[in-house]
Amino acid sequence: MKDRMQGRARATLIAPVAAILSFAAVLALAHQCARPARAATLSGQDDFVDYDSPLELLLSPDGARLYVLCQQSEEVRVLDASTFAVIASIAVGRVPRGIALSSSGDRLYVTNSWDDTLSVIDTRKLAVIATWPVGFEPSGVVAEGAGMRVYVANRISNDIAVLDAATGTDLKRLLAGRGASYLALSLDGSRIYATHIFPNPPPLRTGMENRTPPESEITVIDTARAVVVNRILLHAIAGVFHVALSPDGRLGVVAELHPKNLVPLAHLEHGGAFADTLTLFGADVGPPVEIPLDELERYASQPFGVAIAPDKSRIYVTSGGSEIVTVIDVPRMLRFVRARPHAQPVSFATDLAASANYVVTRIPVGRNPRGLLLTPDGRRLFVANRLDDTISVIDTRANRVASTIKLAGPTQISALRRGEQTFYTARYSFQGQIGCSSCHIDSTFDGLEWDLEPDGFGRDIVDNRLIEDIKGTEPYKWNGSNPNIPTECGPRTEMYFWRSQTYDDRTLTDLTLYIRSLPSRPNRWRLRGGELTPAQARGLAIFTRTVDKFSKPIPEGNRCSFCHSGPKGTSQKSFDVGTRKPTDNSGLLDTPQLSNIALTAPYLHDGSARTLEEIWTIYNPSDKHGRTNDLTKDELNDLIEYLRTR
Amino acid sequence: MRAIAKAAATATCVGILRLLGISATSPSQSSVHGIGADMIVTSTPVYRPLAALRGEERFPQGAQLLLIHKGDAEPLVDGFAATADPELSFDGTTVLFAGKKLESEPWQIWELTLATRATRRVVAGDEDAIRPLCLPGGRIVYARSTAHGFQIESAALDGSGVQQITYMPASAVPDQILRDGRILFESGFPLGSGSTPEMFLVYQDGSGVESYRCDHGVARWGGRQLSSSDVVFTHGATLARFTSPLAHEVTVAAPRAEYAGGVIETVQGEWLVSARVAPAKHYGLDLFDPAHAVAKPALEPVLARIDRDLVQPILVSPRNPPNHHPSALHPWNYANLLALDARQSRDGALKTAPASVRLDTLDAKGNEISLGTAPVEPDGSFFVQVRADAPIRFTLLDDKGAALRQERGWFWIRRGEQRYCVGCHVGPERAPENRVPAVLLRTTTPVDLTGIRGANTTKALASGGN
Repeated sequence: MKDRMQGRARATLIAPVAAILSFAAVLALAHQCARPARAATLSGQDDFVDYDSPLELLLSPDGARLYVLCQQSEEVRVLDASTFAVIASIAVGRVPRGIALSSSGDRLYVTNSWDDTLSVIDTRKLAVIATWPVGFEPSGVVAEGAGMRVYVANRISNDIAVLDAATGTDLKRLLAGRGASYLALSLDGSRIYATHIFPNPPPLRTGMENRTPPESEITVIDTARAVVVNRILLHAIAGVFHVALSPDGRLGVVAELHPKNLVPLAHLEHGGAFADTLTLFGADVGPPVEIPLDELERYASQPFGVAIAPDKSRIYVTSGGSEIVTVIDVPRMLRFVRARPHAQPVSFATDLAASANYVVTRIPVGRNPRGLLLTPDGRRLFVANRLDDTISVIDTRANRVASTIKLAGPTQISALRRGEQTFYTARYSFQGQIGCSSCHIDSTFDGLEWDLEPDGFGRDIVDNRLIEDIKGTEPYKWNGSNPNIPTECGPRTEMYFWRSQTYDDRTLTDLTLYIRSLPSRPNRWRLRGGELTPAQARGLAIFTRTVDKFSKPIPEGNRCSFCHSGPKGTSQKSFDVGTRKPTDNSGLLDTPQLSNIALTAPYLHDGSARTLEEIWTIYNPSDKHGRTNDLTKDELNDLIEYLRTR
Repeated sequence: MRAIAKAAATATCVGILRLLGISATSPSQSSVHGIGADMIVTSTPVYRPLAALRGEERFPQGAQLLLIHKGDAEPLVDGFAATADPELSFDGTTVLFAGKKLESEPWQIWELTLATRATRRVVAGDEDAIRPLCLPGGRIVYARSTAHGFQIESAALDGSGVQQITYMPASAVPDQILRDGRILFESGFPLGSGSTPEMFLVYQDGSGVESYRCDHGVARWGGRQLSSSDVVFTHGATLARFTSPLAHEVTVAAPRAEYAGGVIETVQGEWLVSARVAPAKHYGLDLFDPAHAVAKPALEPVLARIDRDLVQPILVSPRNPPNHHPSALHPWNYANLLALDARQSRDGALKTAPASVRLDTLDAKGNEISLGTAPVEPDGSFFVQVRADAPIRFTLLDDKGAALRQERGWFWIRRGEQRYCVGCHVGPERAPENRVPAVLLRTTTPVDLTGIRGANTTKALASGGN
């Protein structure tokens, strides 16, 4: 599978447009070959269980069909929207994440985030008719109203690809926020609003990058010219998900996370770890307004999907961790906002009593609710419960679940599935404020540095690490104090994160199994067959060298390949690489694995290096973090090119 | 002994005790059945619900636990001069209670096995121990009388491992363990110095003490959490509730009456309340339907006794245990407190920026002692190491040392506790802003205000990961 990804990644970079169709055919063939293992999950009994994991929902323009994007079974399930009978199941690529319909409804677009492709489905034939290469880890997708272009948010490329809707030609890329992921088209088709899940890197070097609030944005695109016309700043936000727009175009809303990573994580009460919020924007509110969804003792953990009623009377928000849909009264919400005039963007995120002014109710749904869909008349709300393989159908007049559609996935719940459910729920933390996935978004990381309590307030600031492929990289944590995942996720999490009674033994075992099973996503910089580009090869030579450019031997402990040894780039030992800060309790740091290191900025234990380059250009003055000060800028670039292949 | 007691109780039922709505022919039968379980209730000639907050006796003429089973009332426990404060175990098999074998003895904590009616003493001592509540993990909390009034303690079910929970110069009496694991207790407001009954929260290890809500001023006590997570309590003449969305209490449209507190929710969602129509009357048990309170604001009598108060009802039904609190206290003999912005307060903006903060405590005689001062940063933050397990109080000072604002009451921080406050009395509705407090950018070493020489040398910051 990795070989296939390597080939695809390279082809994506260099393939001429003329080769797209043949390339797509190869991809499709490869996909079919790989299919038996693609989404298999290993249960405690070693059986393979293929769940559906519905993520996003769409309704055909005539309202007759419900399209369900099933992430784990990697298909689009087509249901009769009245009877919910299955009409068809259309296989797509690996780990699909986004889905969109053309304005005419004759094309369905699906992003395949692990294939870096877009599946084009003919909705009359209910078949994939083309597979187009896009950027790295395509996520959200929209087809503009005129039918000329398709826009795809690429999570790893941090951009938005503008594709010719007829040919799939990649016309241009628009710079978006880091981890670009979700897109929404205004009803008049003139604007696309894009969000991103990781905070943008600080633009200026101040030395305090890791101690300043995160910044995110809503990227606004003019569809007539396919250019970015605005970037709406989301101050203190890290993790922005779906965006919705009112039919009159006067109100936009995004679901987002407002972390408290700069405050010591000493307790959870009173929103100590996160605020779960919406940012409102548009003519209805003036400058953007951030409003909380949380209450004093109850949280709307991990808001994700958002929809505005056709008559703009209600906003609906899914919270994947709290497993609820929050219903907001829009007129009351606007009264709340307008009663607090503001000439600049404003936030009410610190007021846990604010939501009483506009939240109507919170409707319990299934596990890990994600995408939601309102029928055109606004009477029914469909909610994709990703980890239940169900769709909740909410009667919006009664604000209750009227029925639950069971998809055709397996009925048994494997240990891995239970572990995944545990990973994504917030039910185990104090008052249900956070879950594993609050900081490990989509089972990855959050791009933030946290001040954890037991090391001392303001001490041992730690960068959050990627948790993919961590099996065999123990010990965990930057100080290497956690010998294994059960220790990390069990008593320590209970005491210092959840601040509440947590898992029984089986639940912890399931969770451990799930975390240990997380694979490394395809490396986008690695070529097919493990070949290296010339620059990467030069970088490898630097990585493994034993003498410096002046022919002086490099002590073993000062060679890159000594500490970052083994298949995952870690010796699993701690070293002092000269990066200790006055606020660090020790300079000895666990050697982090190098898997997909290109994705995980910022770097170093406290996130003080914004880029891989800064690790050596700023934070290695004494060559304690490897002998690098003899390198030229080009040679350092070579080293980094190699590291990106890890 | 037990047979005699039961006979006496039966005679009382016939002659004195009125069991309303329990007989099969009663029009209130459905409501009683709606309770859905046997009940245990404390029967007493005189009930003074707030007496313990003053360190006084709540049952000056004694008390007796009754079991109400299919319309029959019988003494629950034999061989005791007085019994009260019933608390059912989570599995519904045992009952904790406060009891006196002899009238001259202090109240102690006992456990009764329902199946056998066998009793055993859980907590003993020379002082009263009252109001036991079950904690998860085989521990209990209760209030023990001390020189400073009732203080809350926890102990194992065999009475070992006693741990003091509250540390202040005033009484604290537990009401309930909330589902999130915190102990809901009542004390006077301002905490440690006032006399207005108020409701507070503390974790099971004594850390994190705070007011439930900060709309202080009206006496409130007898809180109980409902299935909705709302906490219902009494002002005496009225009922009110705390809800998760609001920072202030919400009035309950309940009939005018005098409520004893300790509302019980039935399976139908009705409330079983202990109420009386006038101070000269006795408390009886009534049902109240909050869902139809506006249209039908009436109390439906369930059980009354013309010469006794019936208070502290509980249902004999298994229940889910609350969350266990995993204590994260460090092995220190002090505590650390970080104020994120001491300028923030529900009391309004300060006219002058605070330059420093003074920490006071009380000595054994109750005299105020200053433990020193620490600078307050321009952003209102300060970081101090404080005396643990003792009453403390902060006062903000201007650059001339004059008091700008002082905490109204006293609170405590547990040994090894490390916590932050968003502001000074900002209320639980105020979440922290996401910014590094200036004091932590200047130093991560707290100013030592313990008044204990070398307090921070006991053990350095806990090593290890998280």
